Amino acid sequence: MKRRDFLKLTISGFAGLGFNDAFAIFKPAELPDLVVAEGTSHSKVTEKAIEALGGIRRFISRGDVVVVKPNMAWDRTPEQAANTNPEVVKEVVKLCYEAGAKKVKVFDRTVNDPRRVYVQSGIMEAVKKVGGEVFFVDDRRFKEVLINGEAIKTWPLYTEVFEADKVINVPIAKHHSLAKLTMAMKNWMGIMGGSRRQIHQKLDESLADLAMVIKPTLTILDATRILIRNGPQGGNLEDVKVLNTVVAGIDQVAVDSFGATLFGMKGEDLGYVKLAHKRGLGNMNLSKIKIKRIRL
Amino acid sequence: MKTLKALRRISQGLFLFLFFYLFLQTESKGFDELGYPVKVFLDLDPLIFLSTLLSSRSIVKLFYLSLVTILITIIFGRVFCGWICPFGTLNNLVGLLKKRETYRFKRFQIKYYILFFLLSASLFTLQFSGLMDPISLLIRSMTVNIYPSFNYAVRAIFDFLYSLDIRVLESVYSIIKRSVLSFEQTFYRQSLFIGGLFLLILGLNLYERRFWCRYLCPLGALLGLLSRYSLLKRSVSEGCNSCGICERNCPSGAINKSQEWLQTECFQCFNCDDLCPQKAVKSGFKEQRGLQVDLTRRQVITYISAGILSVPFIRTTPFLKEEFLNPRLIRPPGSLEEKEFLRRCIRCGECMKVCITNGLQPAFLEAGLEALWTPVLVPKIGYCEYRCTLCGQVCPTGAIRRLSLHEKAKVKIGLAMIDKGRCLPYAHGRPCIVCEEVCPTPKKAIWFERIMIKDRDGKELEIQQPHVDLELCIGCGICEAKCPVVDRPAIYVTSIGESRSKVNQLLLE
Repeated sequence: MKRRDFLKLTISGFAGLGFNDAFAIFKPAELPDLVVAEGTSHSKVTEKAIEALGGIRRFISRGDVVVVKPNMAWDRTPEQAANTNPEVVKEVVKLCYEAGAKKVKVFDRTVNDPRRVYVQSGIMEAVKKVGGEVFFVDDRRFKEVLINGEAIKTWPLYTEVFEADKVINVPIAKHHSLAKLTMAMKNWMGIMGGSRRQIHQKLDESLADLAMVIKPTLTILDATRILIRNGPQGGNLEDVKVLNTVVAGIDQVAVDSFGATLFGMKGEDLGYVKLAHKRGLGNMNLSKIKIKRIRL
Repeated sequence: MKTLKALRRISQGLFLFLFFYLFLQTESKGFDELGYPVKVFLDLDPLIFLSTLLSSRSIVKLFYLSLVTILITIIFGRVFCGWICPFGTLNNLVGLLKKRETYRFKRFQIKYYILFFLLSASLFTLQFSGLMDPISLLIRSMTVNIYPSFNYAVRAIFDFLYSLDIRVLESVYSIIKRSVLSFEQTFYRQSLFIGGLFLLILGLNLYERRFWCRYLCPLGALLGLLSRYSLLKRSVSEGCNSCGICERNCPSGAINKSQEWLQTECFQCFNCDDLCPQKAVKSGFKEQRGLQVDLTRRQVITYISAGILSVPFIRTTPFLKEEFLNPRLIRPPGSLEEKEFLRRCIRCGECMKVCITNGLQPAFLEAGLEALWTPVLVPKIGYCEYRCTLCGQVCPTGAIRRLSLHEKAKVKIGLAMIDKGRCLPYAHGRPCIVCEEVCPTPKKAIWFERIMIKDRDGKELEIQQPHVDLELCIGCGICEAKCPVVDRPAIYVTSIGESRSKVNQLLLE
């Protein structure tokens, strides 16, 4: 834990925001790196996963502007598991407000028509219910960002992500024919402007490059339903496997590495995870990190 | 009476507003159903009803509303022109720019001849009436040119302010965006042509007020014929001193120099009633008829014959040869077989307005002159969204059938083919999976063959090369639209395999 985080936690603890938070300060070393929660109520699972990671107040402070970035790219319904489960997104947004966030913004640069995606994914309605701001991407707000990576030197990225106080990545775990799996790291393609289709020529390198400039506060991997074939879009319920699982962590490389195991793979099977690990952007070595499992 | 004139103006305003409102609602909000009766003005249109009835030889059920228009016309005369027609109102408004009525063309017959031409052509299956029907013309021109131009202008202004870092108006912009702008800027082929004609027609008002309505509008002519026997009539009492104020202020030109009344031309606007200094003008259900438009038998026969002869004249194009097909003539999903389609499509442009990706575009001569301005999908501009069925929902004549989501998933509008000379994995040994990634069929119509290739240094690498499964491909064109080889995509859709055709098939089934 960084000193700044520790201080924030201490302050929020003493601000009397709840016994649990205060209790957490006394043994911060015991907090897990990853929480894997399982249960049939997807909002409850999300809530408990975050709670076990130290609680939302460990990440969100009063007055924060928060960006919550789901995977919301396809004109598909929730049970088809092509977009993040709206229940999970909604719970994250709700918790942010409970922690005193000023604004919670939710958006994605979609692949299919944005209007259909926002409605059919169920995310817009779910997020609006808890007061989140859902809006369509505005082309004028992409700004060229210096990345200096292996594959990408600069790229237009969505400014809201960099202007926000906190960023929470809420991807879904899915099959993908080139990346093999798309989870946390690949979800950041959703803030890329321009002709992002070109990065497929060097996808692993590009995703690791993106991870150098986008540092989410928290990552919540939605594995309540995962798409095991015909991803990332799916469409056939036979390709969907219900796991009722949510994985929470700070290190998105570790989250992706764990996510791979849900599909019978390992983190090192994924080129971008391996690369990010090598560059020191995170830890894919699951034996070296503390994982807490919860069953509801 | 002042009140009738005022009522007429309110009615014109309301219907114009309703028209614009429904026009704006002809846009996806992300749901499967549109939820607004956006084509209600076309449903009210007896010219579309009659010509579609003749050319398709089948009853279009929603058009029963047009019987209301017919009934109203028989009782009250051309109130549709004076009180309802949004295009008439627009002409009316532009006419206000002209200070004084100076010129009188007085060839009311022309529109009747146009009507006879169009109807006799449609009797012999050539459906051209939508080209000149005022409602169809208005929707098409608004969709293809006027509305996109308006959007362009507004966006350009606010983008300019944004670039100057003037953000105070951003909230105003977001209100405008949500209320009157389209979701995204749209672009159309033929835009200048269609928009130019529209402006020309409006411009004729500066030459003579409501020039279009008086001399060119075929719907006006049809309603004129119906109002020959209309019950509501104008009469002038003894008090008239022939001051001519009614003649000068008549928007329809239905009052001549000797203050006689042309019954078939009157819009029932009540200007004369209102303005008469002697209060000598009266409207009522009387027996004595007004003057009728002067149609000579010879001319009527000439234009009916011309309409009939135009059918063989236009149909000598090779496109009528069975296997002469334009591969890029990709029709919207649910379109009827081409001949049947052309008999029904009135080129109103509703489908192009509602098309979620802007992919539906007006054709020029891709399928011959007969198919002018009919909808064609141009995947490079916009693909067909897999779960969208809006074009079939708004089509007023059933040229595009209304499909359920289940049916839509099965309708093929063409097939995708790969250009191996341009495709990255084939031609250049670079990985790319975009076409497969975006392919929307649940079992993907694009699959990969894993191949070991060597680069120029002899180093081996594995690459996935895409193939199209012709059984699964529906020709939606998202692969073409999203292909990274942007200028000339390495995968593209042609019309072969389209469900609506018996001839244009590839697979043995």
